[in-house]
Amino acid sequence: MTDVITPIGPAIGTALAELLLTMADDEFVSGFMDSEWTGIAPLLEEDIAVSSIAQDELGHARALYQLLAEVLDDGRDEDALAYDREPEEYRHSRLLDHARGDWADTIARRFMYELADEARLASIGTGYRPLADLVEKLRREERYHRMHVVAWIDRLANGGPDARRRLDTALTTQGVDAPTVFTPLAGEGDLVAAGILTRSMAAAESAWRADLTTILVPLGLGLPPSVDPSPAGRRNHSAAFRWLWSEFTSVRRSEGGATW
Amino acid sequence: MTDTRADLEPYEVFQQAKDGDPMRHGGNVLAPDPELALHYAREMFGRRNESSRLWVVRRADINVLEDPDLLDPPLDRSFKKPGGYVMRDKLAAARERAGTAKPAARAEGHDRTGGQRDRDATA
Repeated sequence: MTDVITPIGPAIGTALAELLLTMADDEFVSGFMDSEWTGIAPLLEEDIAVSSIAQDELGHARALYQLLAEVLDDGRDEDALAYDREPEEYRHSRLLDHARGDWADTIARRFMYELADEARLASIGTGYRPLADLVEKLRREERYHRMHVVAWIDRLANGGPDARRRLDTALTTQGVDAPTVFTPLAGEGDLVAAGILTRSMAAAESAWRADLTTILVPLGLGLPPSVDPSPAGRRNHSAAFRWLWSEFTSVRRSEGGATW
Repeated sequence: MTDTRADLEPYEVFQQAKDGDPMRHGGNVLAPDPELALHYAREMFGRRNESSRLWVVRRADINVLEDPDLLDPPLDRSFKKPGGYVMRDKLAAARERAGTAKPAARAEGHDRTGGQRDRDATA
């Protein structure tokens, strides 16, 4: 993807790989879960919109896995990284472990995740040039994702008692897992020191809460609870994720090593 | 798919392929309100780099004229049309006298925003 490979030391390499893996797995799992709406979304135009956004997320995951493959340099390409792992080896956040659910569940999850992803992307510095260059492109696409999901939060909050109740329930149920997007990374201090991150995950979480407040409070909706960050926020995945994993790996596993 | 069509309205989508091109009718989308109509128009007419600008108009807001009495007058008006005059040879002779080449397409002064500038000026 890039002509110049920035030289990085082994300690930073491990920390950078962890960061890239968490970002890629988040985008990959959210993209696949949202694609579960293809063909059954509330209306045809929305079906196309949500499927297109899901494809965008998979595209972001692909670009991040490519960077990860360069950093790891262990012979695995982006497809191997995306598909050839056991479910417990994925490092997406618990927020993305929830099943597709109804439309309010998806909108609530996408809303909390999109804004969290935005806060995370805003925390990437210029310490690793290939990542900084990629993030600049990702943020342009994520602008539209945010517009789309915020439009829906507004409509569900003001769309009559049933829509509002479902949204409120979905935000509460999944909100407890939303801060796991900011699960501290083992090598976080090294990444900040190297300028790859400009702030800690905890600082990014504060920015995310401020952002959520500006949208949820005027609508009379509650914020996700503050919980102490657990190092296990990206582990012990749910049965819903195991099912999704069996779906998204099924074609790949049907003919190992096939060329497409 | 749940039937929610009753809440939806048609919006007509006009697209400009690149800056300076005329706005052309692309098609339409169904949406519950103007904001989502823009999102859906973007998905259907703008995510493959095929548009540099979209206009999304609620179909009900379009003033339609289709009265044949107004658009297709019954009396012969062929004298208003330039057909029958062969200008090509006269033009070529005139250009030769003036020593000028065939002019390029009228690009100068063309409104590159597809009319947006005029609308802004009168807004």
